[in-house]
Amino acid sequence: MKTMRAVALVFLAAVLAASMAANWIAPASYARQFRDQPDAAPSAQHLLGTDDLGRDRFSRLLYGTRISLLLAPAAALMSTVLAGAIGGAAGFAGGWIEVCVMAGTDLFLSLPWLFLLITVRACLPLNVSPVVSVAITFVLLGCLGWAAAARVVCADVRSFRNSDFVLLARASGAGGARLLMRHLVPNLAPVLAAQFWISIPVFILTEANLGILGLGVAEPLPSWGSLLRELESFSGYSAQPWLFAPLLLLVLTVSSFQIVLHNEEVAG
Amino acid sequence: MESQPLLSVHLSAGYRSKPAVLKDVCFEMQRGEVLSLVGQSGCGKSTLALAVLRLLHWKQATAEGCIVFNGRDLMAASEREMRAMRGREIALVLQSPLSALNPARRIGAQLEEAWQIHRRTSVTERLDAVHATLRQVSLPSDRAFLRRYPAELSVGQAQRVLIGMAILHRPALLIADEPTSALDIVTQAEILELFSRLRHDLGIGILYISHDLLSVAAISNRVAVMDQGRIVECQPTARLFTRPAHPFTQKLIAALPAMPQFGRAAQAQIA
Amino acid sequence: MKRWILCLGLIFATVSTRCAGAQPGSELRFCIPSDPRTWNPLLVEDDASETIRYLTGGVLVRLNRQTQQLEPELATAWKVSRAGNAISFTLRRNVRFSDGSAFTARDVAYTIAQLMDPALHSPTGDAFRAAPGKVITRIADPYQITILFPAPVVGLAKLFDQVAILSATSPEHERAVLGPYQLADYRGGSFVLLRRNPNYWKHDSAGRPLPYIQSVRLDIEQNRDIELLRLLRGEIDLIGSLSPESYDRLSAKAPGMAVDAGVSLDSEQMWFNQAPSAPIAEYKKAWFRSTNFRRAVSESIHRDDIIRIVFHGHARPAVSWISPANRAWFDSKLAPHAFDRSEALRLLAHDGFTLVNGVLHDRAGHAVEFSLVTNAGNTPRERMAAMIQQDLAAIGIRVHVVTLDFSSLIERITRSLNYEACLLGLVNDDLDPNAQMNVWLSSGENHQWNPGEKKPATAWEAEIDRLMRAQAASLDAKKRKQDVDRVQEIVWKQEPFIYLVDKDALMAVSPNLHNVSPVALRPQVYWNIDWLWLSNSGSRRP
Repeated sequence: MKTMRAVALVFLAAVLAASMAANWIAPASYARQFRDQPDAAPSAQHLLGTDDLGRDRFSRLLYGTRISLLLAPAAALMSTVLAGAIGGAAGFAGGWIEVCVMAGTDLFLSLPWLFLLITVRACLPLNVSPVVSVAITFVLLGCLGWAAAARVVCADVRSFRNSDFVLLARASGAGGARLLMRHLVPNLAPVLAAQFWISIPVFILTEANLGILGLGVAEPLPSWGSLLRELESFSGYSAQPWLFAPLLLLVLTVSSFQIVLHNEEVAG
Repeated sequence: MESQPLLSVHLSAGYRSKPAVLKDVCFEMQRGEVLSLVGQSGCGKSTLALAVLRLLHWKQATAEGCIVFNGRDLMAASEREMRAMRGREIALVLQSPLSALNPARRIGAQLEEAWQIHRRTSVTERLDAVHATLRQVSLPSDRAFLRRYPAELSVGQAQRVLIGMAILHRPALLIADEPTSALDIVTQAEILELFSRLRHDLGIGILYISHDLLSVAAISNRVAVMDQGRIVECQPTARLFTRPAHPFTQKLIAALPAMPQFGRAAQAQIA
Repeated sequence: MKRWILCLGLIFATVSTRCAGAQPGSELRFCIPSDPRTWNPLLVEDDASETIRYLTGGVLVRLNRQTQQLEPELATAWKVSRAGNAISFTLRRNVRFSDGSAFTARDVAYTIAQLMDPALHSPTGDAFRAAPGKVITRIADPYQITILFPAPVVGLAKLFDQVAILSATSPEHERAVLGPYQLADYRGGSFVLLRRNPNYWKHDSAGRPLPYIQSVRLDIEQNRDIELLRLLRGEIDLIGSLSPESYDRLSAKAPGMAVDAGVSLDSEQMWFNQAPSAPIAEYKKAWFRSTNFRRAVSESIHRDDIIRIVFHGHARPAVSWISPANRAWFDSKLAPHAFDRSEALRLLAHDGFTLVNGVLHDRAGHAVEFSLVTNAGNTPRERMAAMIQQDLAAIGIRVHVVTLDFSSLIERITRSLNYEACLLGLVNDDLDPNAQMNVWLSSGENHQWNPGEKKPATAWEAEIDRLMRAQAASLDAKKRKQDVDRVQEIVWKQEPFIYLVDKDALMAVSPNLHNVSPVALRPQVYWNIDWLWLSNSGSRRP
């Protein structure tokens, strides 16, 4: 277990360092099109080959990692905090507040988000730089991703509210804030952590699909999402296994995070 | 007996779904006294415990009347005053120790937390208080024990932790709501002994709520018998058991299992 | 991830249909992308319904997709009036609907009445609605009919290629057809089975009834990759349109099947928003209205790279709004715009643009940047946009590529006009330039760069208006061609649309299918379905 954790930590550090140092270690700019060699196989010049426009896949992966590795967890954190706050407050307050907030959450879940996002896109100017566009997308995802988790949190908090230990805490003179922070939050931690970890890959992929609405990453900026989207048309991957590099990196990164954090809980 | 009782209650209470759970319940308690409250399940004993702590509204219940504690009318106290009083002057011990502890937090943290609610002190003072209270309830106070989660304790240990938490601030009144019902008979005896000792050592008044007449007989000075939300009889322990006045009390005592009559040989074997 | 699951589901679906519907014999199979939305030939809008209409509908005249000439079908002769507002048909005798009822002028009259019925909202009928007013049909005898329109209709005869004749009397309504096939079976989401129409009137020279192929099975298959897999497995016989990647994969695996039928009518183009009401900065509008700016952009785009990288060589640099595939109307004197960065910079300098530290600035000092919108999900177009982005970066112009879903894109380019530049393709099935009147007249709704002008904003637009109106009014073919050529030259010079490429028509045909002569016009492979035949389909796995 210890070695696994060490390996995971080293891997994460390496990924993070490599993506942060993309400006120096990437062999080419992520946007540069080597038009004389599109769809090239890996070579000394292009470690992971080139994409269909002749852009260096390795460089794009480095820059894409930077974007996704910074923004997806930030958005996941945001939606988790929102879920905890809204669900927690509703479950804790109970009564008509809970009914109203949960009805609002259900309504929120049932809204046609596609159209809302289209409207959002319509309100945004077209001339935004790709980086801003990605950042806006992740903020949106963070703002929209909380509802389902909030319901779980609310149900949990509701059961805690009626539990003996909360009663006892009250009987010990604990006030609202203390109850919330010392008694509810620790019990919600597993739910919130799960929400956080589930959100990261979901957001990464959603960001890719939002490209359809003109949100998300825009040419020529790469993100994990846009790199993964290239895997969509499943033609001849067996002959080009290096195309799976972004997927592999995503899976490894997310699982490394989990290994590190899980061990932290057990050992820390 | 002092002129001013520790607690004097005159109370009616009811739930929205179940009105009049307590009907004009009226009793007094002296300092350092153990008053037992017995009755069948559902007769309103626990409601009374919560009413004294003014926690009934969390259970969607309302109470009317007056509760005078140490000369102060609790029904007139603000929530803020009540909060300052709960845990420090009036403490509560609940029936099932494992669910009364927060499963997600180490017991050391929970004990420290209970201390911190009412006192802002240095870390050492806080830890000293925790260690002292653990010793008082005959639990180990080493670091390894404090780092345990509730699930890692036995039921008896957990109940001791709860009692330790309750006496942390040397309250004048300890409300024990069926504190032994979830325990096996040997642990029950240990906990009862602990209660007697605490009362003796610390002079805490204990409102001991139970449906178990035997434990009541062992611990209390006086016994109040509740039936359908009313106190039907309140007598010193010995008198209640020897000369029960009310028919309901008589019925309760009659229902006590008699020690079976074995032959001498058989008794020797058991012994 | 969801898509992956969907793909797996589709594979299972494919396997199961293969097992269920395997029948040897003379059955042509190919895929349609979706369930047909309608069985009524007058309401056809989607590809799948269009396929069914082509295979089952009998029409008065048919445009030969190869010669691009009209040929008689149910009408043996026709004549358009001098004014262009009436057409008379002489109908074929002894023709029966699939249900056995006889075909007469009454059926034609009934079809026209249905077609023009405002309550039906026939999209096919829209082409005939040049002006408000009633359409009158006059039946001289059972085999002579004249149709009178309230105003002249451009290219009137050709429009009847789309009008499948309905039976006025048959109890089977639109199920009674005059075309080579009739509907035999349909399972939603799975397949449509068409069987030979036993009453079809056509025979070959030896007197054998046509069509040769007994039945046509249209499998509903959304996924183009799976469609290709099924072709390679021998489960289907043709694919009407292939992407360049699929074409390359197919030619690597089964070189005999991939067909490049040459340049098609489909072009890709970009344009700048020149509308005065557009909610964009005035200085940008000034760039976009400058011919030099548009020419410079056009000449900075490396069309050959786009063709090589995006279309794998299966496209040509576009020259004009008329594709070279349109033999009669294309102006062959025009040459593609050369890729010439220094010329582009010279044109820009002429307008006061200066290149400072690699960034182009206009006279007032604004850095030159614009957003290019295109529809999301169209990979070739997204790639083209990325290449344009890089090409223009080389002359100091910063391009923001924005992909939008199709409906919001259309909303922007037609209603709100809130965009700066747009990259789109044009699918054009009509060969006659009259079909594009609403694009080229400055008052036209589809005059994309500046729709619905009250009066022409520029002299060259006024000139185009004049020429287009002149050719539409003229019956002299030579004069018309001259006018249309002149319009093509003006557009070449002014570049309100910057034409990028004309795509090749790529398709796949099984070697078992004979008499095929693939063409660029839809339906590319089976346009002569009557004459196709399948050799022993032994290679098809049962």
